[in-house]
Amino acid sequence: MEAVCLDIHPQILLAEDDLELRELLIVVLSRAGYQVTSCDNGLQLLEQLKQGDKYDLVITDVRMPALSGLEVLESQIDNPCCPPFICMTAFGDTMTHATARRFGATATIDKPFDLDEMIELVHSTCLRTEAESLCVGGRS
Amino acid sequence: MRLTVKITFAVLLGVALVFSAYSYFSIQRERDQLKKNLSREARHVGENLRFIVSELWQQRGEAVAIAFLKKANQDYKSTLVRWVWLDGEILSQHQPRVPVEQLEDLYNEETVALLAGSPDGQDFLLTYLPLYTKDGRIGAIELSESMDEMHDYVQESLRRSAIVVGVSVASGVLLMGVLGSIWIGRPMRKLRAQAERIGSGDFTTSINVPGSGEIAELSGTIERMRGQLAEARAAEQIANNERIEALEKLRHTERLATLGQLSAGIAHELGTPLNVIAGRAKLIHSAGMKPDDISRSATIIGEQADRMTGIMRQLLSFARRGKSQKQSVDLSVVLQTLKPLLEPTAREQGIDLVISEAEQPLPVYVDPAQLQQVLLNLTLNGIQAMPDGGNITLISCYTSAVEPPENIENGDMNWVCLQVCDQGTGIEPETLRQIFDPFFTTKDIGQGTGLGLSIAHGIIEEHGGWIDVSSTPGEGSCFSVYLPENPSGELV
Repeated sequence: MEAVCLDIHPQILLAEDDLELRELLIVVLSRAGYQVTSCDNGLQLLEQLKQGDKYDLVITDVRMPALSGLEVLESQIDNPCCPPFICMTAFGDTMTHATARRFGATATIDKPFDLDEMIELVHSTCLRTEAESLCVGGRS
Repeated sequence: MRLTVKITFAVLLGVALVFSAYSYFSIQRERDQLKKNLSREARHVGENLRFIVSELWQQRGEAVAIAFLKKANQDYKSTLVRWVWLDGEILSQHQPRVPVEQLEDLYNEETVALLAGSPDGQDFLLTYLPLYTKDGRIGAIELSESMDEMHDYVQESLRRSAIVVGVSVASGVLLMGVLGSIWIGRPMRKLRAQAERIGSGDFTTSINVPGSGEIAELSGTIERMRGQLAEARAAEQIANNERIEALEKLRHTERLATLGQLSAGIAHELGTPLNVIAGRAKLIHSAGMKPDDISRSATIIGEQADRMTGIMRQLLSFARRGKSQKQSVDLSVVLQTLKPLLEPTAREQGIDLVISEAEQPLPVYVDPAQLQQVLLNLTLNGIQAMPDGGNITLISCYTSAVEPPENIENGDMNWVCLQVCDQGTGIEPETLRQIFDPFFTTKDIGQGTGLGLSIAHGIIEEHGGWIDVSSTPGEGSCFSVYLPENPSGELV
């Protein structure tokens, strides 16, 4: 696996209820140069987002105890500072994908996924966000 | 009493009666004949004597005549001849052996013959021939002949008859016994054994009683009946097997349908560990991993594989269908096995699965796979009735006071109960009446077979229990499965 290292260390907020998968993603993302904060349910995710810390990316499982990933995403529709969301889903049906997209998810990925693919997706999402913010910054 | 013995008894009784009657009448006839002969003989002798006595009386007087009679006794050993007086002064030596009143016919000069017994028990044939003396006095010559000879003859005849009857009866018994056993006893025993075999359901052995008699005909009829019964039973068995097979197929189809409903949840349940396994494998493969991390990853891979195996095993044990295998199990254990199968689907629908087990073991004699199917079906119905989420409660409990329906046998036994209670839309009263009917469904086309509850009902009925349902539209439904307690069974 090729680790993609960035000069800066983007902050990622990870929400996944399965301990093993969460731990795996933390290891892989850290090795790829990201700073990862994690939580294991939707409610904690929402609280983390409300705390005001700046995150470059949110990776969330769709189905979690307390609040689902989609519900958190939906609550962030009106938040202009909302970081990009990557939703992980095991159900893989087009309905879930479409809903996630409608609620503003940047990308969706089906479980089980390839870790390289995930890193690639995270990387490209972070780069795009950075480019967009640069763009916005350049205009202002 | 055996038939042969009865027939023998009846026949021999008849033979003995006929023979005895015949012997009696022939002896009687011989006796009469003998008596007549004796009487006739005595009369001849008497008449000769009377003639001589009459002559002697007239020519030489009373004393000579009576003396002649006395002398005559010496010639006739078997017959005693005496002179008796019937009137006037009678000396004891001229007294008739019988009272004079019995001899009145003598006054008419008729000969009188009669039988009389002596005080020592001997019988005599007495013949009296009247004789008027010159002085007008009436007397008679009395010939008394002992009947002993005749009695001996009759005794002998009787003895012979008795021997003949006895021998006839004995030989008859022997003959009837042997022939009865050969002709009746043996074939009847065979027929009885055959009838008993047929009665106990053994149609394999055939019997053959040779000949053309009634018993052979009966044997032929029994043989035909055996054939027909065997055919009927074979046909019934085939039909029964077909029915069981069809039911089994139907239940399996329904099981697969249930499995289909569970599959989305199960897929998700498998997706996560698969993801972890693939990721950890990749980590191990990547450069720069410390030995400790590699070891940890390998451990996690193992754990995740176990987790998947557990889920797969539950799925397989449910999907695989062998013959119905009833065993003693704890109801709460069956309830526990449902958790991994149902939880993913419930979670997907935002439903919490609450399982409340009884504290004590609830032993029942059931086919766990069939019971699982019933409970999965009831719970999945509950999940489908709760589009807005909520709680589904699965309860196992012991019921002390429950009134079984009328069609349940052994109503006085103890019952254990499994309840599936949802907070769903509930069931309308008019629908409630039909929910156990085959092919009745309220779901959209393609969503349900309409057989789930009907099959569940059949399975529980087969286990000697019943399903009760209470529902309040808008609040939820509660299905209670009652099963007979099996306290003696050793729990598997």
